[in-house]
Amino acid sequence: MKFRASRASQQAYSRRRLRLSQSLAKRLTIGFTIAFAVLAALAVIGVARFIQQRQDFEDAIARSYQSEIQARTRIPQGRHPAAARATVLAQQRRRRALRDDISNQTRDTALLVGAGLIAALTGAALLFSGLISSMRRPLENLVEASEQLAAGDLEARVKVGGLSETASLGRAFNEMAAELQRRAGERDQLDRMKDEFVLTASHELRSPLTSVQGFAELLMMERDKLSPEQVETVEVILDNSRHLVRLLNDLLDLARSDAGRLKIEPRPTEVETLVEDAERAMRGQLEARGQALSTAIDPDLPRASADRDRVRQVMVNLLTNASEYCPEGAAIEVKATRIDADVEIAVIDNGPGIPQDQLEHIFERFTRGDAGLTQRVGGTGLGLAIAKSLVELHGGSVAAESTPGGGSTFSFRLPAATASGDAPHAPLEAEAR
Amino acid sequence: MMARVLVADDSETILLLLRTRLEMAGHEVQTATDGQGVLDALKAAGPKPDLLLLDAMMPRISGIDALRELRAGGVDTPALIVSAHEEASGDGDEMLGIGGYISKPIDFEALFERIAELTSG
Repeated sequence: MKFRASRASQQAYSRRRLRLSQSLAKRLTIGFTIAFAVLAALAVIGVARFIQQRQDFEDAIARSYQSEIQARTRIPQGRHPAAARATVLAQQRRRRALRDDISNQTRDTALLVGAGLIAALTGAALLFSGLISSMRRPLENLVEASEQLAAGDLEARVKVGGLSETASLGRAFNEMAAELQRRAGERDQLDRMKDEFVLTASHELRSPLTSVQGFAELLMMERDKLSPEQVETVEVILDNSRHLVRLLNDLLDLARSDAGRLKIEPRPTEVETLVEDAERAMRGQLEARGQALSTAIDPDLPRASADRDRVRQVMVNLLTNASEYCPEGAAIEVKATRIDADVEIAVIDNGPGIPQDQLEHIFERFTRGDAGLTQRVGGTGLGLAIAKSLVELHGGSVAAESTPGGGSTFSFRLPAATASGDAPHAPLEAEAR
Repeated sequence: MMARVLVADDSETILLLLRTRLEMAGHEVQTATDGQGVLDALKAAGPKPDLLLLDAMMPRISGIDALRELRAGGVDTPALIVSAHEEASGDGDEMLGIGGYISKPIDFEALFERIAELTSG
Protein backbone atom coordinates (compact mmCIF):
# COMPACT_ATOMS: atom_id res chain seq x y z
CA MET A 1 0.00 0.00 0.00
CA LYS A 2 1.33 3.47 -0.91
CA PHE A 3 0.91 6.47 1.29
CA ARG A 4 -0.34 9.17 -0.97
CA ALA A 5 -1.89 12.29 0.52
CA SER A 6 -5.02 13.42 -1.25
CA ARG A 7 -5.00 16.75 -3.04
CA ALA A 8 -7.21 18.31 -0.39
CA SER A 9 -4.99 17.21 2.46
CA GLN A 10 -1.91 18.42 0.58
CA GLN A 11 -3.51 21.84 0.24
CA ALA A 12 -4.46 21.88 3.89
CA TYR A 13 -0.88 20.93 4.66
CA SER A 14 0.62 23.81 2.63
CA ARG A 15 -1.87 26.26 4.15
CA ARG A 16 -0.86 25.15 7.59
CA ARG A 17 2.82 25.44 6.69
CA LEU A 18 2.22 28.98 5.44
CA ARG A 19 0.38 29.92 8.61
CA LEU A 20 3.10 28.37 10.70
CA SER A 21 5.96 30.19 8.94
CA GLN A 22 4.11 33.52 8.92
CA SER A 23 3.38 33.30 12.58
CA LEU A 24 6.89 32.30 13.55
CA ALA A 25 8.41 34.98 11.27
CA LYS A 26 6.12 37.61 12.76
CA ARG A 27 7.15 36.78 16.28
CA LEU A 28 10.82 36.91 15.36
CA THR A 29 10.43 40.12 13.35
CA ILE A 30 8.62 41.92 16.16
CA GLY A 31 11.19 40.74 18.66
CA PHE A 32 14.11 41.81 16.53
CA THR A 33 12.50 45.14 15.60
CA ILE A 34 11.84 46.12 19.20
CA ALA A 35 15.35 45.14 20.25
CA PHE A 36 16.87 46.98 17.30
CA ALA A 37 14.74 50.11 17.85
CA VAL A 38 15.67 50.28 21.52
CA LEU A 39 19.35 49.85 20.66
CA ALA A 40 19.20 52.48 17.91
CA ALA A 41 17.34 54.97 20.10
CA LEU A 42 19.84 54.47 22.91
CA ALA A 43 22.73 54.99 20.51
CA VAL A 44 21.23 58.18 19.05
CA ILE A 45 20.34 59.56 22.47
CA GLY A 46 23.77 58.66 23.82
CA VAL A 47 25.70 60.24 20.95
CA ALA A 48 23.50 63.37 20.88
CA ARG A 49 23.90 63.82 24.60
CA PHE A 50 27.63 63.32 24.35
CA ILE A 51 27.93 65.92 21.57
CA GLN A 52 25.72 68.39 23.47
CA GLN A 53 27.73 67.97 26.66
CA ARG A 54 31.01 68.41 24.77
CA GLN A 55 29.69 71.53 23.07
CA ASP A 56 28.51 73.05 26.37
CA PHE A 57 31.86 72.18 27.92
CA GLU A 58 33.86 73.80 25.17
CA ASP A 59 31.70 76.94 25.25
CA ALA A 60 32.11 77.20 29.00
CA ILE A 61 35.89 76.70 28.77
CA ALA A 62 36.08 79.36 26.02
CA ARG A 63 34.05 81.80 28.11
CA SER A 64 36.27 81.10 31.09
CA TYR A 65 39.46 81.82 29.12
CA GLN A 66 37.90 85.03 27.82
CA SER A 67 37.10 86.20 31.35
CA GLU A 68 40.62 85.31 32.48
CA ILE A 69 42.24 87.17 29.59
CA GLN A 70 40.11 90.24 30.27
CA ALA A 71 41.14 90.12 33.94
CA ARG A 72 44.81 89.67 33.11
CA THR A 73 44.76 92.69 30.77
CA ARG A 74 43.40 94.70 33.70
CA ILE A 75 46.28 93.74 36.07
CA PRO A 76 49.14 95.80 34.42
CA GLN A 77 46.81 98.78 34.01
CA GLY A 78 46.59 98.87 37.81
CA ARG A 79 42.85 99.09 38.01
CA HIS A 80 41.63 96.83 40.88
CA PRO A 81 44.58 94.47 40.49
CA ALA A 82 43.50 92.37 43.47
CA ALA A 83 40.01 91.78 42.04
CA ALA A 84 41.55 90.94 38.65
CA ARG A 85 43.87 88.38 40.20
CA ALA A 86 40.99 86.88 42.10
CA THR A 87 39.04 86.58 38.82
CA VAL A 88 42.01 84.83 37.14
CA LEU A 89 42.21 82.31 39.98
CA ALA A 90 38.43 81.87 40.00
CA GLN A 91 38.41 81.18 36.26
CA GLN A 92 41.23 78.66 36.61
CA ARG A 93 39.25 76.85 39.37
CA ARG A 94 36.12 77.02 37.25
CA ARG A 95 37.89 75.34 34.34
CA ARG A 96 39.17 72.57 36.62
CA ALA A 97 35.62 72.07 37.84
CA LEU A 98 34.29 72.07 34.27
CA ARG A 99 36.86 69.43 33.30
CA ASP A 100 35.81 67.26 36.22
CA ASP A 101 32.17 67.75 35.29
CA ILE A 102 32.63 66.80 31.65
CA SER A 103 34.44 63.60 32.54
CA ASN A 104 31.65 62.77 35.01
CA GLN A 105 29.00 63.56 32.45
CA THR A 106 30.73 61.47 29.76
CA ARG A 107 30.98 58.58 32.18
CA ASP A 108 27.31 58.95 33.11
CA THR A 109 26.25 58.97 29.46
CA ALA A 110 28.39 55.91 28.75
CA LEU A 111 26.88 54.17 31.78
CA LEU A 112 23.37 55.12 30.69
CA VAL A 113 23.91 53.85 27.16
CA GLY A 114 25.61 50.69 28.50
CA ALA A 115 22.78 50.02 30.93
CA GLY A 116 20.26 50.56 28.13
CA LEU A 117 22.16 48.15 25.88
CA ILE A 118 22.22 45.53 28.57
CA ALA A 119 18.52 46.03 29.25
CA ALA A 120 17.65 45.71 25.55
CA LEU A 121 19.80 42.60 25.09
CA THR A 122 18.38 41.06 28.26
CA GLY A 123 14.89 41.77 26.96
CA ALA A 124 15.72 40.12 23.63
CA ALA A 125 17.30 37.14 25.38
CA LEU A 126 14.25 36.79 27.63
CA LEU A 127 11.99 36.93 24.58
CA PHE A 128 13.93 34.12 22.87
CA SER A 129 14.27 31.97 25.95
CA GLY A 130 10.55 32.45 26.54
CA LEU A 131 9.86 31.30 22.99
CA ILE A 132 12.19 28.34 23.34
CA SER A 133 10.93 27.24 26.73
CA SER A 134 7.32 27.48 25.62
CA MET A 135 8.21 25.22 22.66
CA ARG A 136 10.31 22.79 24.66
CA ARG A 137 7.57 20.93 26.53
CA PRO A 138 5.39 20.40 23.43
CA LEU A 139 8.46 19.34 21.44
CA GLU A 140 9.47 16.87 24.14
CA ASN A 141 5.93 15.49 24.06
CA LEU A 142 6.20 15.15 20.31
CA VAL A 143 9.49 13.30 20.54
CA GLU A 144 8.02 10.97 23.15
CA ALA A 145 4.88 10.32 21.09
CA SER A 146 6.96 9.75 17.91
CA GLU A 147 9.04 7.18 19.75
CA GLN A 148 5.90 5.43 20.99
CA LEU A 149 4.52 5.46 17.46
CA ALA A 150 7.78 4.08 16.06
CA ALA A 151 7.68 1.34 18.69
CA GLY A 152 4.29 0.32 17.32
CA ASP A 153 1.93 2.01 19.77
CA LEU A 154 -0.50 3.43 17.24
CA GLU A 155 -2.61 4.92 20.03
CA ALA A 156 0.12 7.49 20.75
CA ARG A 157 -1.15 11.09 20.54
CA VAL A 158 0.12 14.47 21.81
CA LYS A 159 -1.79 17.08 23.81
CA VAL A 160 -2.41 20.00 21.45
CA GLY A 161 -1.57 23.35 23.03
CA GLY A 162 0.99 26.07 23.67
CA LEU A 163 2.15 28.35 20.86
CA SER A 164 0.22 28.23 17.62
CA GLU A 165 3.29 26.64 15.97
CA THR A 166 3.54 23.75 18.41
CA ALA A 167 -0.24 23.43 18.49
CA SER A 168 -0.45 22.99 14.73
CA LEU A 169 2.56 20.66 14.80
CA GLY A 170 0.74 18.62 17.45
CA ARG A 171 -2.45 18.58 15.39
CA ALA A 172 -0.52 17.49 12.30
CA PHE A 173 1.15 14.72 14.32
CA ASN A 174 -2.17 13.52 15.69
CA GLU A 175 -3.72 13.48 12.21
CA MET A 176 -0.77 11.45 10.95
CA ALA A 177 -1.02 9.00 13.85
CA ALA A 178 -4.77 8.61 13.31
CA GLU A 179 -4.21 7.92 9.61
CA LEU A 180 -1.50 5.36 10.40
CA GLN A 181 -3.80 3.68 12.89
CA ARG A 182 -6.64 3.59 10.36
CA ARG A 183 -4.40 2.04 7.71
CA ALA A 184 -2.96 -0.48 10.17
CA GLY A 185 -6.53 -1.43 11.06
CA GLU A 186 -7.40 -1.89 7.40
CA ARG A 187 -4.28 -3.99 6.88
CA ASP A 188 -5.09 -6.17 9.89
CA GLN A 189 -8.58 -6.67 8.57
CA LEU A 190 -7.23 -7.62 5.13
CA ASP A 191 -4.82 -10.03 6.80
CA ARG A 192 -7.67 -11.62 8.73
CA MET A 193 -9.71 -11.91 5.54
CA LYS A 194 -6.76 -13.52 3.78
CA ASP A 195 -6.27 -15.99 6.65
CA GLU A 196 -9.98 -16.82 6.68
CA PHE A 197 -9.96 -17.21 2.92
CA VAL A 198 -7.02 -19.61 2.92
CA LEU A 199 -8.52 -21.63 5.78
CA THR A 200 -11.91 -21.85 4.07
CA ALA A 201 -10.44 -22.54 0.64
CA SER A 202 -8.24 -25.36 1.87
CA HIS A 203 -11.22 -26.88 3.68
CA GLU A 204 -13.47 -26.56 0.67
CA LEU A 205 -10.88 -28.17 -1.59
CA ARG A 206 -10.70 -31.21 0.62
CA SER A 207 -14.07 -32.70 -0.34
CA PRO A 208 -13.49 -32.89 -4.11
CA LEU A 209 -9.94 -34.03 -3.43
CA THR A 210 -11.31 -36.81 -1.22
CA SER A 211 -13.35 -38.03 -4.19
CA VAL A 212 -10.46 -37.84 -6.64
CA GLN A 213 -8.11 -39.71 -4.36
CA GLY A 214 -10.76 -42.15 -3.15
CA PHE A 215 -11.91 -43.19 -6.61
CA ALA A 216 -8.34 -43.42 -7.90
CA GLU A 217 -7.61 -45.75 -4.98
CA LEU A 218 -10.72 -47.74 -5.90
CA LEU A 219 -9.41 -48.15 -9.43
CA MET A 220 -6.05 -49.28 -8.11
CA MET A 221 -7.79 -51.92 -6.02
CA GLU A 222 -8.91 -53.47 -9.29
CA ARG A 223 -5.62 -53.03 -11.09
CA ASP A 224 -5.69 -56.61 -12.47
CA LYS A 225 -8.57 -55.46 -14.70
CA LEU A 226 -6.55 -52.49 -16.02
CA SER A 227 -3.96 -52.31 -18.77
CA PRO A 228 -0.41 -51.30 -17.74
CA GLU A 229 -0.98 -47.87 -19.36
CA GLN A 230 -4.17 -47.42 -17.34
CA VAL A 231 -2.39 -48.40 -14.12
CA GLU A 232 0.27 -45.81 -14.89
CA THR A 233 -2.40 -43.17 -15.52
CA VAL A 234 -4.11 -43.89 -12.21
CA GLU A 235 -0.74 -43.74 -10.45
CA VAL A 236 -0.22 -40.24 -11.86
CA ILE A 237 -3.64 -39.22 -10.55
CA LEU A 238 -2.80 -40.65 -7.12
CA ASP A 239 0.65 -39.04 -7.02
CA ASN A 240 -0.80 -35.68 -7.85
CA SER A 241 -3.71 -35.91 -5.48
CA ARG A 242 -1.29 -36.79 -2.67
CA HIS A 243 0.82 -33.82 -3.65
CA LEU A 244 -2.29 -31.62 -3.51
CA VAL A 245 -3.10 -32.97 -0.05
CA ARG A 246 0.42 -32.09 1.14
CA LEU A 247 0.07 -28.64 -0.37
CA LEU A 248 -3.31 -28.14 1.33
CA ASN A 249 -1.97 -29.33 4.67
CA ASP A 250 1.01 -27.01 4.37
CA LEU A 251 -1.18 -24.07 3.35
CA LEU A 252 -3.48 -24.81 6.26
CA ASP A 253 -0.56 -24.88 8.69
CA LEU A 254 0.75 -21.57 7.41
CA ALA A 255 -2.68 -19.95 7.46
CA ARG A 256 -3.17 -21.18 11.02
CA SER A 257 0.24 -19.89 11.96
CA ASP A 258 -0.58 -16.48 10.44
CA ALA A 259 -3.91 -16.37 12.22
CA GLY A 260 -2.26 -17.32 15.52
CA ARG A 261 -4.21 -20.58 15.59
CA LEU A 262 -1.29 -22.97 15.20
CA LYS A 263 -0.95 -24.66 18.55
CA ILE A 264 1.78 -26.80 20.02
CA GLU A 265 2.02 -28.75 23.24
CA PRO A 266 5.70 -28.85 24.20
CA ARG A 267 6.74 -31.49 26.72
CA PRO A 268 10.20 -32.49 27.93
CA THR A 269 11.30 -34.97 25.28
CA GLU A 270 14.50 -36.97 24.76
CA VAL A 271 16.30 -35.72 21.68
CA GLU A 272 16.97 -39.33 20.74
CA THR A 273 13.21 -39.94 20.56
CA LEU A 274 12.77 -36.94 18.26
CA VAL A 275 15.54 -38.15 15.96
CA GLU A 276 14.21 -41.72 15.95
CA ASP A 277 10.70 -40.49 15.08
CA ALA A 278 12.08 -38.64 12.07
CA GLU A 279 14.30 -41.56 11.05
CA ARG A 280 11.31 -43.90 11.09
CA ALA A 281 9.19 -41.51 9.05
CA MET A 282 11.94 -41.04 6.46
CA ARG A 283 13.21 -44.61 6.15
CA GLY A 284 11.18 -45.56 3.09
CA GLN A 285 11.97 -42.43 1.15
CA LEU A 286 15.69 -42.57 1.93
CA GLU A 287 15.97 -46.25 1.06
CA ALA A 288 14.20 -45.64 -2.24
CA ARG A 289 16.92 -43.17 -3.17
CA GLY A 290 19.76 -45.27 -1.80
CA GLN A 291 20.68 -42.53 0.66
CA ALA A 292 22.33 -43.29 3.98
CA LEU A 293 21.26 -41.50 7.14
CA SER A 294 23.71 -41.33 10.04
CA THR A 295 23.03 -39.79 13.43
CA ALA A 296 25.35 -38.22 15.99
CA ILE A 297 23.70 -37.28 19.27
CA ASP A 298 25.74 -35.81 22.12
CA PRO A 299 25.50 -38.24 25.04
CA ASP A 300 24.80 -35.66 27.77
CA LEU A 301 22.05 -33.73 26.02
CA PRO A 302 19.26 -32.35 28.18
CA ARG A 303 15.70 -33.13 27.18
CA ALA A 304 14.22 -30.62 24.75
CA SER A 305 10.96 -28.83 25.28
CA ALA A 306 9.21 -30.16 22.22
CA ASP A 307 5.86 -31.07 20.70
CA ARG A 308 6.82 -34.48 19.39
CA ASP A 309 4.51 -34.52 16.35
CA ARG A 310 5.41 -31.00 15.32
CA VAL A 311 9.16 -31.53 15.72
CA ARG A 312 8.84 -34.68 13.63
CA GLN A 313 7.11 -32.55 11.00
CA VAL A 314 10.01 -30.05 11.11
CA MET A 315 12.63 -32.81 10.81
CA VAL A 316 10.74 -34.60 8.06
CA ASN A 317 10.57 -31.33 6.12
CA LEU A 318 14.34 -30.78 6.51
CA LEU A 319 15.20 -34.41 5.71
CA THR A 320 12.82 -34.51 2.73
CA ASN A 321 14.58 -31.47 1.31
CA ALA A 322 18.00 -33.00 1.90
CA SER A 323 16.88 -36.22 0.24
CA GLU A 324 15.21 -34.62 -2.74
CA TYR A 325 17.91 -32.07 -3.50
CA CYS A 326 20.77 -34.55 -3.10
CA PRO A 327 21.65 -37.12 -5.72
CA GLU A 328 20.84 -40.78 -5.18
CA GLY A 329 23.30 -42.46 -2.85
CA ALA A 330 24.09 -39.25 -1.00
CA ALA A 331 24.99 -39.21 2.69
CA ILE A 332 22.82 -37.29 5.14
CA GLU A 333 23.67 -36.73 8.78
CA VAL A 334 21.55 -35.67 11.74
CA LYS A 335 23.62 -34.12 14.50
CA ALA A 336 22.32 -33.02 17.90
CA THR A 337 24.39 -30.84 20.22
CA ARG A 338 23.90 -28.62 23.21
CA ILE A 339 24.34 -24.88 22.68
CA ASP A 340 23.93 -22.82 25.87
CA ALA A 341 20.42 -23.47 27.13
CA ASP A 342 19.28 -24.85 23.78
CA VAL A 343 19.42 -28.13 21.97
CA GLU A 344 20.50 -27.80 18.35
CA ILE A 345 19.51 -30.38 15.78
CA ALA A 346 21.22 -30.10 12.40
CA VAL A 347 20.51 -31.89 9.13
CA ILE A 348 23.74 -31.99 7.13
CA ASP A 349 23.97 -33.16 3.53
CA ASN A 350 26.74 -33.40 0.97
CA GLY A 351 24.50 -32.30 -1.88
CA PRO A 352 24.94 -29.56 -4.48
CA GLY A 353 24.55 -26.70 -1.98
CA ILE A 354 22.60 -23.48 -2.32
CA PRO A 355 23.89 -20.19 -3.80
CA GLN A 356 24.08 -17.32 -1.30
CA ASP A 357 21.34 -15.23 -2.93
CA GLN A 358 18.86 -18.09 -2.62
CA LEU A 359 19.99 -19.01 0.86
CA GLU A 360 18.92 -15.60 2.16
CA HIS A 361 15.31 -16.26 1.22
CA ILE A 362 15.28 -19.99 1.83
CA PHE A 363 12.81 -19.87 4.74
CA GLU A 364 10.33 -17.74 2.79
CA ARG A 365 7.19 -19.22 1.28
CA PHE A 366 7.36 -20.81 -2.14
CA THR A 367 11.12 -20.32 -2.26
CA ARG A 368 12.84 -23.29 -3.85
CA GLY A 369 16.36 -24.02 -4.86
CA ASP A 370 17.14 -24.21 -8.57
CA ALA A 371 16.99 -27.97 -8.35
CA GLY A 372 13.38 -27.70 -7.24
CA LEU A 373 12.52 -25.90 -10.44
CA THR A 374 14.47 -28.05 -12.86
CA GLN A 375 14.28 -31.49 -11.33
CA ARG A 376 11.15 -33.32 -10.32
CA VAL A 377 11.11 -32.46 -6.66
CA GLY A 378 7.95 -33.29 -4.77
CA GLY A 379 8.04 -30.48 -2.20
CA THR A 380 5.47 -27.75 -1.92
CA GLY A 381 7.87 -24.86 -1.43
CA LEU A 382 6.29 -24.34 1.97
CA GLY A 383 8.17 -26.90 4.06
CA LEU A 384 10.88 -24.59 5.35
CA ALA A 385 8.46 -21.74 6.04
CA ILE A 386 6.38 -24.14 8.13
CA ALA A 387 9.48 -25.53 9.84
CA LYS A 388 10.46 -21.97 10.78
CA SER A 389 6.97 -21.17 12.14
CA LEU A 390 6.86 -24.38 14.16
CA VAL A 391 10.34 -23.96 15.62
CA GLU A 392 9.65 -20.33 16.52
CA LEU A 393 6.43 -21.44 18.18
CA HIS A 394 8.62 -23.57 20.44
CA GLY A 395 10.63 -20.47 21.29
CA GLY A 396 13.53 -21.65 19.10
CA SER A 397 15.19 -20.53 15.90
CA VAL A 398 16.19 -21.91 12.51
CA ALA A 399 19.36 -21.41 10.48
CA ALA A 400 20.75 -22.47 7.11
CA GLU A 401 24.34 -22.63 5.89
CA SER A 402 25.59 -23.78 2.56
CA THR A 403 28.54 -23.70 0.23
CA PRO A 404 27.70 -24.31 -3.42
CA GLY A 405 29.18 -27.69 -4.23
CA GLY A 406 29.92 -28.38 -0.58
CA GLY A 407 26.59 -29.41 0.85
CA SER A 408 24.08 -27.69 3.12
CA THR A 409 23.30 -27.63 6.82
CA PHE A 410 19.82 -26.80 8.07
CA SER A 411 19.59 -26.53 11.82
CA PHE A 412 17.08 -25.55 14.45
CA ARG A 413 17.30 -24.92 18.16
CA LEU A 414 14.78 -25.89 20.78
CA PRO A 415 14.89 -24.69 24.37
CA ALA A 416 16.07 -27.35 26.79
CA ALA A 417 13.35 -28.49 29.17
CA THR A 418 13.82 -27.13 32.67
CA ALA A 419 13.92 -29.36 35.76
CA SER A 420 10.28 -28.61 36.54
CA GLY A 421 9.40 -29.97 33.15
CA ASP A 422 8.17 -26.79 31.54
CA ALA A 423 9.93 -24.92 28.85
CA PRO A 424 11.08 -21.47 29.89
CA HIS A 425 8.85 -18.91 28.19
CA ALA A 426 7.87 -21.25 25.38
CA PRO A 427 4.83 -19.71 23.77
CA LEU A 428 2.00 -22.15 23.38
CA GLU A 429 0.32 -20.34 20.54
CA ALA A 430 1.54 -18.28 17.68
CA GLU A 431 1.31 -14.70 18.76
CA ALA A 432 -1.09 -12.59 16.84
CA ARG A 433 1.01 -10.22 14.82
CA MET B 1 -16.68 -58.11 11.47
CA MET B 2 -19.65 -56.90 9.52
CA ALA B 3 -21.44 -53.81 10.74
CA ARG B 4 -24.52 -51.88 9.66
CA VAL B 5 -23.30 -48.33 8.99
CA LEU B 6 -25.46 -45.25 8.44
CA VAL B 7 -23.47 -42.84 6.30
CA ALA B 8 -24.51 -39.19 5.91
CA ASP B 9 -22.89 -36.71 3.54
CA ASP B 10 -24.34 -33.96 1.36
CA SER B 11 -21.99 -34.87 -1.50
CA GLU B 12 -23.31 -37.68 -3.73
CA THR B 13 -19.79 -38.62 -4.84
CA ILE B 14 -18.45 -38.89 -1.31
CA LEU B 15 -21.49 -40.94 -0.40
CA LEU B 16 -20.86 -43.24 -3.37
CA LEU B 17 -17.19 -43.56 -2.45
CA LEU B 18 -17.94 -44.37 1.19
CA ARG B 19 -20.69 -46.83 0.26
CA THR B 20 -18.45 -48.62 -2.25
CA ARG B 21 -15.48 -48.92 0.09
CA LEU B 22 -17.55 -49.92 3.10
CA GLU B 23 -19.46 -52.54 1.10
CA MET B 24 -16.19 -53.87 -0.33
CA ALA B 25 -14.99 -54.23 3.25
CA GLY B 26 -18.11 -56.28 3.98
CA HIS B 27 -20.24 -53.70 5.79
CA GLU B 28 -23.89 -53.03 5.20
CA VAL B 29 -24.55 -49.40 4.25
CA GLN B 30 -27.52 -47.08 4.66
CA THR B 31 -27.22 -43.49 3.40
CA ALA B 32 -28.63 -40.05 4.16
CA THR B 33 -27.85 -36.73 2.52
CA ASP B 34 -28.39 -34.51 5.55
CA GLY B 35 -29.02 -34.53 9.27
CA GLN B 36 -32.78 -34.82 8.80
CA GLY B 37 -32.21 -38.00 6.78
CA VAL B 38 -30.22 -39.42 9.70
CA LEU B 39 -32.99 -38.63 12.19
CA ASP B 40 -35.62 -40.10 9.84
CA ALA B 41 -33.58 -43.27 9.29
CA LEU B 42 -33.29 -43.88 13.03
CA LYS B 43 -37.01 -43.28 13.61
CA ALA B 44 -37.98 -45.63 10.78
CA ALA B 45 -38.92 -49.24 11.45
CA GLY B 46 -36.40 -51.96 10.67
CA PRO B 47 -32.89 -52.80 11.78
CA LYS B 48 -31.03 -49.99 13.52
CA PRO B 49 -27.47 -49.09 12.43
CA ASP B 50 -24.49 -50.23 14.55
CA LEU B 51 -22.54 -47.10 13.68
CA LEU B 52 -23.11 -43.54 12.41
CA LEU B 53 -20.60 -42.01 10.00
CA LEU B 54 -21.63 -38.36 9.76
CA ASP B 55 -20.24 -35.45 7.81
CA ALA B 56 -19.69 -32.57 10.21
CA MET B 57 -20.96 -29.94 7.81
CA MET B 58 -24.21 -30.54 6.00
CA PRO B 59 -26.93 -28.08 4.99
CA ARG B 60 -29.87 -27.53 7.35
CA ILE B 61 -29.09 -30.07 10.08
CA SER B 62 -25.36 -30.79 10.39
CA GLY B 63 -23.93 -34.10 11.52
CA ILE B 64 -23.13 -32.63 14.92
CA ASP B 65 -26.62 -31.17 15.34
CA ALA B 66 -28.25 -34.46 14.33
CA LEU B 67 -26.06 -36.30 16.81
CA ARG B 68 -26.96 -33.84 19.55
CA GLU B 69 -30.66 -34.45 18.90
CA LEU B 70 -30.19 -38.23 18.85
CA ARG B 71 -28.27 -38.21 22.14
CA ALA B 72 -31.00 -36.07 23.69
CA GLY B 73 -33.51 -38.69 22.54
CA GLY B 74 -31.50 -41.45 24.22
CA VAL B 75 -29.93 -42.97 21.08
CA ASP B 76 -26.41 -44.16 21.98
CA THR B 77 -25.25 -45.61 18.66
CA PRO B 78 -21.47 -45.05 18.29
CA ALA B 79 -20.63 -42.21 15.91
CA LEU B 80 -17.68 -41.05 13.81
CA ILE B 81 -17.53 -37.54 12.40
CA VAL B 82 -16.04 -36.94 8.96
CA SER B 83 -14.56 -33.49 8.75
CA ALA B 84 -12.37 -31.35 6.57
CA HIS B 85 -11.08 -29.82 9.79
CA GLU B 86 -8.44 -32.30 10.73
CA GLU B 87 -8.00 -30.66 14.09
CA ALA B 88 -11.72 -30.64 14.78
CA SER B 89 -12.42 -31.85 18.24
CA GLY B 90 -13.74 -29.85 21.01
CA ASP B 91 -15.89 -29.39 24.02
CA GLY B 92 -18.78 -31.72 24.42
CA ASP B 93 -17.22 -34.55 22.40
CA GLU B 94 -17.69 -36.97 25.26
CA MET B 95 -21.19 -35.76 25.92
CA LEU B 96 -22.05 -36.36 22.28
CA GLY B 97 -20.38 -39.75 22.33
CA ILE B 98 -18.19 -38.97 19.34
CA GLY B 99 -15.92 -41.94 18.81
CA GLY B 100 -13.43 -40.06 16.66
CA TYR B 101 -12.86 -37.75 13.75
CA ILE B 102 -12.05 -38.86 10.24
CA SER B 103 -10.33 -36.18 8.23
CA LYS B 104 -10.56 -35.69 4.51
CA PRO B 105 -9.07 -37.12 2.38
CA ILE B 106 -10.12 -40.33 4.08
CA ASP B 107 -7.55 -42.88 5.16
CA PHE B 108 -9.75 -45.95 4.67
CA GLU B 109 -7.50 -48.40 6.50
CA ALA B 110 -7.67 -46.22 9.60
CA LEU B 111 -11.43 -45.82 9.15
CA PHE B 112 -12.01 -49.60 8.98
CA GLU B 113 -9.89 -50.11 12.09
CA ARG B 114 -11.89 -47.52 13.99
CA ILE B 115 -15.18 -49.03 12.85
CA ALA B 116 -14.03 -52.45 14.04
CA GLU B 117 -13.06 -51.02 17.43
CA LEU B 118 -16.36 -49.21 17.90
CA THR B 119 -18.62 -52.07 16.84
CA SER B 120 -16.83 -54.97 18.49
CA GLY B 121 -18.11 -54.16 21.98
